[in-house]
Amino acid sequence: MARVGAGEISKLAVLFERHHRALFRYFVSMNRSREMAEDLVQDVFFRMLRYRSSYNPQKPFTAWMYQIARNASLDQAQKHGAEVVGIEEFIERRAEPASPAPGPEERASQGQSLGLLRRALERLPEDKREILVLSRFQGMKYDQIAEVLGCETATVKVRVYRAIRALEQIYFALEKEKAS
Amino acid sequence: MGIGEITVRQTILIGAALAALACAQDAQQDTEKVTMPFSNPSGPHKLVVDALQGSVTVKGYAGQEVVIEYTPGPGRGRGRRTGRNPAEPPPAGMHRIGGNRDLDVTESSNTVTVKTGVFAPVSNVVIQTPADTSVTVKTLAGRSIDIDNVSGEIDANNFSGAVNITNASGAVVAHSMNGKVTASLNRVPPDKMMSFSTFNGDVDVTLPADAKATLKMRDDNGDIFSDFDVKLEAQSPAQATQEKDKNGRTTRRVRVDGAQTGSINGGGPEIQFTTYNGRIMIHKK
Amino acid sequence: MTCDEAKQHFAEYWSQSLSDADEIELEEHLGGCDACRTEAERLGALWRQLAPPSEEPGPGLRGRFYEMLRGAALRPARSSRPPVWQIAAGIALLVGGGLLGYGLRPKDSELAQLREEVSSMRQLVALSLLQQQSASERLRGVSWAYRVEPSDSEVLQALLNSVNGDPSVNVRLAAVDALHAFGSNVVARKGVLGSLEKQDAPLVQVAILDLLVDLNDRDAEPVLRRLMQNVSTDSGVRQRAQWALEKLQ
Repeated sequence: MARVGAGEISKLAVLFERHHRALFRYFVSMNRSREMAEDLVQDVFFRMLRYRSSYNPQKPFTAWMYQIARNASLDQAQKHGAEVVGIEEFIERRAEPASPAPGPEERASQGQSLGLLRRALERLPEDKREILVLSRFQGMKYDQIAEVLGCETATVKVRVYRAIRALEQIYFALEKEKAS
Repeated sequence: MGIGEITVRQTILIGAALAALACAQDAQQDTEKVTMPFSNPSGPHKLVVDALQGSVTVKGYAGQEVVIEYTPGPGRGRGRRTGRNPAEPPPAGMHRIGGNRDLDVTESSNTVTVKTGVFAPVSNVVIQTPADTSVTVKTLAGRSIDIDNVSGEIDANNFSGAVNITNASGAVVAHSMNGKVTASLNRVPPDKMMSFSTFNGDVDVTLPADAKATLKMRDDNGDIFSDFDVKLEAQSPAQATQEKDKNGRTTRRVRVDGAQTGSINGGGPEIQFTTYNGRIMIHKK
Repeated sequence: MTCDEAKQHFAEYWSQSLSDADEIELEEHLGGCDACRTEAERLGALWRQLAPPSEEPGPGLRGRFYEMLRGAALRPARSSRPPVWQIAAGIALLVGGGLLGYGLRPKDSELAQLREEVSSMRQLVALSLLQQQSASERLRGVSWAYRVEPSDSEVLQALLNSVNGDPSVNVRLAAVDALHAFGSNVVARKGVLGSLEKQDAPLVQVAILDLLVDLNDRDAEPVLRRLMQNVSTDSGVRQRAQWALEKLQ
């Protein structure tokens, strides 16, 4: 990554092939519609190209990429009013297989509770959802997340704990709602 | 890293590029033609195409040189340069090409290498090469790779589109990640191995009716069809049933789990067929 | 360790990314603190159930990206030449060669020596073919690898190198298949496992997953889980990893 400088266009192409799917799924997890998520992926790569001189090769690449992703997301939300997908549409879209075979989530016998878990995640406040997504889905290390969010690593650990606890509360609340 | 590191050369380039874009709004799409000879036309020669994107067509022909026709995208026709340093002698064994930054063609030790950069998105690169050239084509985001009438070895890798090979007379190794691989062979060289694979897409290969070969087939989520009389290996649990396809021809349908080996016309060199989401079709010519 | 400190370590504990020292400390605390232990289990179950989305972006995204690159009007770099493969001169000519032209029946010790010569010839042929510039020749190199002893570490390494680095997907695929014969070898299993997450071709990943199931490699479990959680993994591969996990349990 350090060589995405003048003339290293083909390097960016390789980076695109490697990371675009993960980025796309990050935006989808942050409740962006598919169309918005695609636009955002495009946006992120454009910014990475444009601001490549601000990348410090000593620092981890994914942290830089997700910092840009967050900024892009914020900018887009401000411009368009965040197109947060409604719960029903969200579940519907999740149910359409994008690939020929359904993913393990769809196949699981606990299909019910997994759908509920998705809803709970969707209802989490944005900052809590984000920290869960970065640590659980994007698999980022805590020091990298700290870099992305601009806080201390210790803070990240506490926030992850609080986020999963909040998720549990919402999940139980949804379960109760269903039962009644 | 930053602006300071961009050399003077490249700054001129970027300037020229911007100028070209600015004044070439309604530039026509001229087809550019580049010719590249081999150092030693009578020795074994190779063509390597590395296209970031755009479709690639390679045709074997009776001539001795590699002829590349390329349609630059809009805005590229003007602002062509004849090379940044025309006074600089080419390195030993190499020829200079017209300085078109969309296309990078070099020759070294009887291998012609054609690289297209990011500026060839939807335009076609059509390359003619002596029919006995060994051809390797790789595209990252290409639309399709089409190779016709080549008797040298073919190695085609398309990350995202189809691979179509026709009139091949040499060994073929072909892969597409998200497209269909279609190949029609005039012969099966007796001492060469071949392999056709896709992740999402059919594998559709036509062999001469009298071809002798050993077929190794694996299809995870689809069926294997053939109108050859395929003798499956004894330990296979598969069953072959006959059915008529939509053209009324009788085809054999072979249901398999995992890899399956069979032979046609008594067996011969191994041809591998692998797909994850697609069908495998092996036709008799 | 206090309860607050313990809670901070939960997520890393669930992802198995805690340092050994911290893990020991945490488990000690959990052993003695009911509240923390039950919370860790409860929340851990939730954590594990969280699965990343499997949406795939639409086909237009890639095209648009490359359009954008073009619009940036920057010259693409001239990338470095592909490596020049060494071609072991003449070895391949031994194929079909005269080693087996003995008229007389060899004695036992001669037979053993002959076997050894043949075996090292096969090794040489395999190694040489695996380095050829032609993908079809490299395929043949892999097919020769089937004929060497499972203890042949040089050929094993060459196969692993092919799985990791061959430019042709088909050759990588064939190399994975050939590795089935080396299954009892720890180097093979480790090598194959290590390759799984680095592969850019989903087809090869699926082949490796099948191999792992065939070898019944229990060590594969954490790697499979990581692969499934990795948000870049193709959904077809993820499904196969799920299947593999079930088979290995």
